[in-house]
Order: sequence, then structure tokens, then C-alpha cells
Amino acid sequence: MTDIQTDAEVKVRRFSRGRIFEHWLAALTFTILVVTGISQRFFALDISQWLILKLGGIDNVRLIHRYAAAVFVIAAASHIVIAALGIVLKKWQPSMVINRNDFTDAVHDIRYYIGRENAPARCDRYTYKQKFEYWGILTGGLLMIATGFILWFPMTVVRVFPGELIPAAKALHSNEAMVIVLLIAVWHIYNSIFSPEVFPLDTSIFTGYISRERMAREHPIELARIEGTGLGEINGHTQKDAPVLKAEEPSS
Amino acid sequence: MKGRKIFFTVAILLLCVCPAFVDPVSARDIVLSDEAGACLGCHGKQGIVKRFQSGESVNAFVDAEKFKASVHSFLTCSGCHSEFSMDNHPSRRFRSKKQYQIRASLECRRCHTDEQIKGKPIHAGLLKGNSEGKAAVCTECHSAHSVKPVTGGKVFAGEGQYCMSCHGYNFSMTFRNGEVLRLTIDRSHLEGSAHSKLSCSDCHYGFSSEEHPRRTFKSRREYTIALSESCRRCHFDKYTKTQESIHYAMLSKGNLKAPACTDCHGAHSIASGSREKSLTARRCQGCHPAIYDIYAKSVHGKALFDEHNQDVPICVDCHTAHDIIHPHTLDYRESIPAMCSNCHADKAIMAKYGLSTDVVKTYLSDFHGITLGFYKKQRETLSKPARPIAVCTDCHGIHNISSTRGTDAAVLKANLVKRCQQCHKDAPKNFPDTWLSHYEPTPARAPLVYAVNLIYKIFIPILVIGLFLQILLHIWRYAVDR
Repeated sequence: MTDIQTDAEVKVRRFSRGRIFEHWLAALTFTILVVTGISQRFFALDISQWLILKLGGIDNVRLIHRYAAAVFVIAAASHIVIAALGIVLKKWQPSMVINRNDFTDAVHDIRYYIGRENAPARCDRYTYKQKFEYWGILTGGLLMIATGFILWFPMTVVRVFPGELIPAAKALHSNEAMVIVLLIAVWHIYNSIFSPEVFPLDTSIFTGYISRERMAREHPIELARIEGTGLGEINGHTQKDAPVLKAEEPSS
Repeated sequence: MKGRKIFFTVAILLLCVCPAFVDPVSARDIVLSDEAGACLGCHGKQGIVKRFQSGESVNAFVDAEKFKASVHSFLTCSGCHSEFSMDNHPSRRFRSKKQYQIRASLECRRCHTDEQIKGKPIHAGLLKGNSEGKAAVCTECHSAHSVKPVTGGKVFAGEGQYCMSCHGYNFSMTFRNGEVLRLTIDRSHLEGSAHSKLSCSDCHYGFSSEEHPRRTFKSRREYTIALSESCRRCHFDKYTKTQESIHYAMLSKGNLKAPACTDCHGAHSIASGSREKSLTARRCQGCHPAIYDIYAKSVHGKALFDEHNQDVPICVDCHTAHDIIHPHTLDYRESIPAMCSNCHADKAIMAKYGLSTDVVKTYLSDFHGITLGFYKKQRETLSKPARPIAVCTDCHGIHNISSTRGTDAAVLKANLVKRCQQCHKDAPKNFPDTWLSHYEPTPARAPLVYAVNLIYKIFIPILVIGLFLQILLHIWRYAVDR
């Protein structure tokens, strides 16, 4: 260990192995679902045709989409169960729950962007941007699961519900897919790759660690809690020979 | 011998000078020779039969009236049957009927010399055969006692006219199986045909004013099929297409009932196709009467036959004319939506009947259409999915396509469920409701689907603009701070 470490070199534990695995699983199934789903939605495009034929034909693509969906359902269900249990058993803070601060933070940040504030909003473990994305993906994912189920078993569904539910579910499924894809392709990819704050890649979800510098800038409230200091001491604070801190088990 | 020669010279002179003798109208006035009268005493009665060693026989009865009407009515019997006379009736033995006929034909040649008859191309061919040992039988064409006059020897303007100098008359050829084909050509048919500018030998190649090969066919059908090969010389594209057809496949397997060119197009009265759709449809009726009847009752058939509507499809519009493939193949099945869309995606045609062109679009963008589209592509590159996918005809019918107009919606739905259940075995009664019946979703037709699409149509652009605005503002502030 060198004598002096800058804040950029000091690492703070942010995600446990479980969360890293969850992200990998979600990213993988999501990619498969998007590739096989979008190519079915825009079936007339040359790239879709090429892809579907490469994957062994339309029946194969539909099958892959359903298998990936089944994995996604299991991942989503286990995520919800684990998160709920963690919170109920008081093991974790309900850090992903939306509260009033998120709205004031969003307004504060917009004021900051247009020059009406001098510093960005000071956030806790998850910023309002991350919460927006998380809940967007989670609710969207549940909607995709529900409509996907209807499309997978139309015969069964139509015995109980009116027939128009099937084309409506199809419309909902493909439209919501576009929302989720845009959310990921625009918002998530920007925030974790192209944003000047993290460029070329925010590695925290892969390594589990984040630099103290970024913690201080993006999650000062959480950092203060971890270090047991007042919020005021976080900014500009440079810690020498800081031990690698263990974060509490995060909820997601 | 000398006396006989003089007799025949006189007879031939008489034939040339007195056309009245050969006029069949005055046949009853002709007085037969004494000899002929004596011979007819026996041969004028039915029942005399000459038997040959082969077991064949020939009826020795001579119809006096027919003989009187013949061009040879002035001859005595012994003029041709030279070994016989009023005093002498030798008993002769022949191996077969053919041998007898060849022998009898030699009698003709005593008057009608090679020099005289070789001018006719058919005779030239026969004479050539004769010298090669293939004896010709004159009576096969000219018959025996009822031999007819043959006009000819004129100067002919063209090949057509030349051929018509014989084929304008009523005669026929007999096939080996006994079938008879009239060889008389009606000039008006030829002149009204698409081939009016062609010469006879353009199709009947090998025949000309010099050549008239003698060909034998087992049956009339074999002759028709062989002659259809002539069409290939000009219509090679169509001929090649035909080779890919089910009809040609049947023909090459030996099914002579399969149609050849002339069965649909006619021979001498050949017309250009597609001038009148109902006529073209009737060509198929000859062999496919049951399907034709079903078609005639369909919405398309009724419009064609009752209203003389030329927009409707006929047999060849779906099955094609020449490269007709087996309609039970997957390839054919998968081409059906494209066939229907030839008209049903054509706004100009559909507007006339108040029909929507959405039918094709909605089919192609729904599960069945998408799957079918990929199956067609997969067939070219990947394995061959054998699963049949519903196409237009599975719900609308094939030859019996009927209009859905004026039919009660409940009846349509009930019928549709049965169609669905053919593939989706456990489809419940309201399964057809899961499909938008070829309609684009509208507030009236499918409010739920319409609402979902509308909400997202508004929501997605707002979301995208909002996110991009956030990103741009963030980058801008970041740049300013630095």
C-alpha cells in the first residue's frame, strides 16, 4: 500500500456479489429478449430478416424469446422476493423507495443545469435518476411479463377474458418494449457509459467498488453515513491511508 | 392384251372428255357394263366373304349404287380384277388381307402410272417407300369400289392453297386403334386464327409440296400429343414453362389424358389467349368439370358468368397457364397470399367494389403472415418447416370463395371458429375475437388496442425528448463547470 491515496484511488464497496450477478443476469436476458423481440416487431427490416434466419428461423426466434422470458421471470421474481425480505427483516435500508427528496433533487438538478444553483443535488445511496430508471424497468418488466404471458397462452386467457385482450396485449407488449429499450439505450447507456462523469464506463456494477471521489460527488449522504461524519465534511475531504470500507448490503 | 390396252386408252380418254360420267348427281343414270351386271348378280348380295390364310377376311359385297357414284363406274369389273372375267373365276390364295390389298393396288398402277401420280407429295413419299420394300395400298386412302375423283394439278398460289386442294375435301385418316380423324380443314378457321399468316408446314414440318411423309399413330390422342410438339419451335418459352407443370409430369408418366398445347389452344382455329375470360375458364372445364362448377357458384365465378366481369380471377390467374404446379405442395400454398394480393392489394380494382386493401396488409403483419413470410425465406436457406400456415384460402375457401357481405356476424364467427380449430385444436368459441378481422384498430372496431397504441404514440416521444433534454443539459453544465 502506498503512503498517499487520492480520493480517486480509494475504493468504497457499493454492490455485493448477489447484486452483480443480478445485473449480469438481467443484462443478458434483456439483450436476448430485445434482440429476438425487436427483430420480430420490425420483421420487414433487412437486419431483422438476416438475424432471424441466422438464429434458425422464426420458430426458433420465438422459442428463444420465450426461454429467455422464462429466465427473466425467475430473475424478476427472485429479485422482488429478496428485496422484500431484506427490507421486511430490517437487513437493508429501503434505499430504492421513492421519497419527497427525489422530486426536490430533480428540480434542484434542473435548476443547477440552467445555472440557478451552484452545486448539484446531494443524493443518498440512489439518485433520483437511478430510481426513475429502476422503477421504470421494474414496472415495465412486470407489464412485459403479464402481456407476454397473455401472448404465450392466448387460448387459456381467452377462456376467461374477452378476445380483444390478445391484440391489446400485443400492442402493449411491443409498445412497452420500445419504452424499455429507449430507457436502456438512451438513459442507462448514457449514464453508465457516455456521461462525462463516468466515461468510458461505470465499472461499479461489475467490480462492486466505486471511488470515494465519485461517492462524495454522487452519493454524499450515503458516504457521510458510512464514514460517520457530518455531511459538511464530505466535500473536499481527502482521506489518507483510508481503509477499504465495506458498504452495508445494498438492496439493489 | 393389245385389245385391253386399247380399251383402257379409250376409257381414259372418255374420262377426260366426259366429266358428266363422274358427276355423282347423275349416278343413277349410269348404265353399268354387262360384265359388271353379271358380277353384281353374286357380289351385289351381302354375305360373300373371302377368307385369308391368316384368318382375316374381306367382305366381297359391292354396293352397286356406290360403284355407280364412283369415278370408275364406267369400267368393267375385269378392268381392275384382271384375272377374272365372265367365264373365268379363279380361286386364289393370299396369306393375309394386307397381301391381297398390295396385290390389288398393283392393278391401279397399271393405269395410274408412277409418272402420273408422283406429282402429289403424298404419292412421292409412298413411291419412295415402295422402292424400299414398304408396299403402299391405294385403297387405304382412295377406297376400292367407291373411289372418288380427285381434283388437282392446278397452279397453286401458296402452300395453304396447295394443301387445301386435298384437305379442303372430306376425308379422314384411321389410327391403328380404329379411331378416325377428319383431315378436312375449314379455311375460315385458319383465316380467323392467330396463325393466319403461317404456312401449313410451319407447324406440320416435314410436309411440303414435295414431301408428304406417311405417318402412323396408335391413337388419335398420340397424334394430338405428337403434333403439340410443333408448337415448341416458336413458343419455346411457353414450352419450357410447361415442362415444369403437373400436366407435363403426368404426360411424361404416360397419362395421355394430360393436356397438350392444342387441347387448350385449339389447332387450326387457335386464338390469342385472354381475350375473354369465361372462354379461357371453359378450357379447364373439359377435364375439371367438378371444380369448374364450384368455381361458377363462387363470388368470382358468379361475377364472371352472370355479370361478364373481367376483373375476377379465372383458373389460370391462380394456377397459371403453362407452369401449373401441384396445388397441394407447400410452395404453392405459400404463394397464395401473393396471388390474392394481385387484385386485393390493388386499390384501383378494389375501389370499384368497395373492398378494402387492408386485408393483405393486416394478414402479412399478423402472426400467420409473418410466419409464412419467414417460412418461405427459410425454405431457401434453412430446413423446410412442414407446418402449414393459414393462408387466405384456409378461411375464405378455395374455388368456393364466397362474399362475407350480408352474412350475419354470429354465423361468420361460428364458421371461423371451425376453421381456427383445424389447426388450433382447443380454440374456444370466442377465439376469433382475438383477431381484428383484417381491420386496422380504430376506436369503434378495437377501442382497447387503439387506446394502447394512442397512449404510447404520445408517451414515447415525450419520454425520448425528456431524456435527451436531461442529457444535453447535463453535458452543457459539465462543460460550463470545466
